[in-house]
Amino acid sequence: MEKREITLNVNGKPHHVMIYPNETLLDVLRDKLDLTGSKESCGEGVCGSCTIQMDGKPVRSCLTLALEAIEAKIETVESLANGDELSDLQQSFVDHGAVQCGFCTPGMLMSADALLKDNPKPDEHTVRKAISGNICRCTGYTKIVEAVLHTAQPQGHCSDCSSKE
Amino acid sequence: MLLPTFDYSEPENLEGALDLLAHHREDAKLLAGGTDLLVRMKKGLLKPKVLISLKSLNELSYISEGADWIKIGARTPLADIIVSEPVQNNARALFQACEKVGAITIQHYRGTIGGNILQDNRCHHYNQSDFHRSGRQSCHKDGGKICYARENADRCNSTCQSDGATALMALGAKLVLMSKGNERTVDLDRFYTSEGIMPHQMEPHELLKEIIIPLNNAKSAYQRLAYRSAIDYPIVCAGVLLKPSHEQKDRIDEARIVVGAMGRAPLFLAQAASSLTGKTLDDTDAFEKAAHASMDSAATFAVHNVGSTLEYRCEMVPTVVIRALKEAAQAAKNQNG
Repeated sequence: MEKREITLNVNGKPHHVMIYPNETLLDVLRDKLDLTGSKESCGEGVCGSCTIQMDGKPVRSCLTLALEAIEAKIETVESLANGDELSDLQQSFVDHGAVQCGFCTPGMLMSADALLKDNPKPDEHTVRKAISGNICRCTGYTKIVEAVLHTAQPQGHCSDCSSKE
Repeated sequence: MLLPTFDYSEPENLEGALDLLAHHREDAKLLAGGTDLLVRMKKGLLKPKVLISLKSLNELSYISEGADWIKIGARTPLADIIVSEPVQNNARALFQACEKVGAITIQHYRGTIGGNILQDNRCHHYNQSDFHRSGRQSCHKDGGKICYARENADRCNSTCQSDGATALMALGAKLVLMSKGNERTVDLDRFYTSEGIMPHQMEPHELLKEIIIPLNNAKSAYQRLAYRSAIDYPIVCAGVLLKPSHEQKDRIDEARIVVGAMGRAPLFLAQAASSLTGKTLDDTDAFEKAAHASMDSAATFAVHNVGSTLEYRCEMVPTVVIRALKEAAQAAKNQNG
């Protein structure tokens, strides 16, 4: 098995790395590019903590070979914030108490972000479906769903929605 | 979890892929979305010397519609099938099956219909890590001589849990398989070996190119039962097709019933289905009888190896079959206007 040099387009920048064919995109993001936001939990695609976006679509980076991701526009959770300024979705997670241990959070954000780019005002059923591949052991999902729902449509009855006006 | 080592080839087109397959044969595996293959490699169940990537083979990713068929390239992502209007309207069982596969973030953009059909059989004794399996003797599928799913079984009883295959068999689909210098078409209900270790009638140097779904005014439906609404494989599922008669639109001309996740292949239940010929779309008694006949057939094949209990899964066969039949019948009635 030979090492190869590849270029990955991650968060808007090209990165040249030497990899073995059996390295997954998750391995490369975390170990070679220091983008440790994406997590490895199950390693077999059933927990969602490794979720990133390829060409805007949420995929499992633990089941994607780095070699398979060469021509794609890869976005990780690190792409959401603008320096120290959290994105609306991230701020909504903070405001609604949707983060406890935080391990599922990057994956949740990437799945939710992909949904909201496509459909900024989804209904609850659609949100639940969009994050159905992301497991959370802490929160019981309610606050996460509210955080996603209320990102573009803050609700008067929700005491967690920060007023933007 | 680490992947074993392998060499990686990236053919630019179908011809290149077929050449590589002809050259490497059993030493190679095809890589599409990787959501089945890479998991099995991580668990040490499979160690191919070469992976042949299909990432450049966009020519195998399409959905096209003719007067009496829909053709789908094997590398078409499930997400494309789910949003396809021809599939939603005319091959609804496939739409329903693909929607339920895994979760949006696992299968729908990376997972392909070819990969879903060709996924290996599963068993909760076999689909475990190297470390887990090192605790006891290998089973048949793992190169040993014992079956943990059925006592004293002299053969592998792993289960086909493919949603796509169950729905497509109900739809009467055909598969187009290619190898270097050869192409053949086979009915999906003749594609299985009924055997757990190598469930598909397919040579190592062959590649699935296309799925052909015949269209003939029939209505289909798919129902599945799983622990959770996403991520999990089905523990019992059913695909049905009802073709109303041309002359008497409320009579069933032909029915197809397929029960999945209950055997080494999706179970095409010809007898149960033929009991519906000539019955009306409203005949829920006939549906019940057919559903219970389906349970009797499925129960002889099923083993306890995909979760829940065998008794529960068998009891749920009539439930999923009846739900699917009622749904397809309603769609057929709506079509009649």
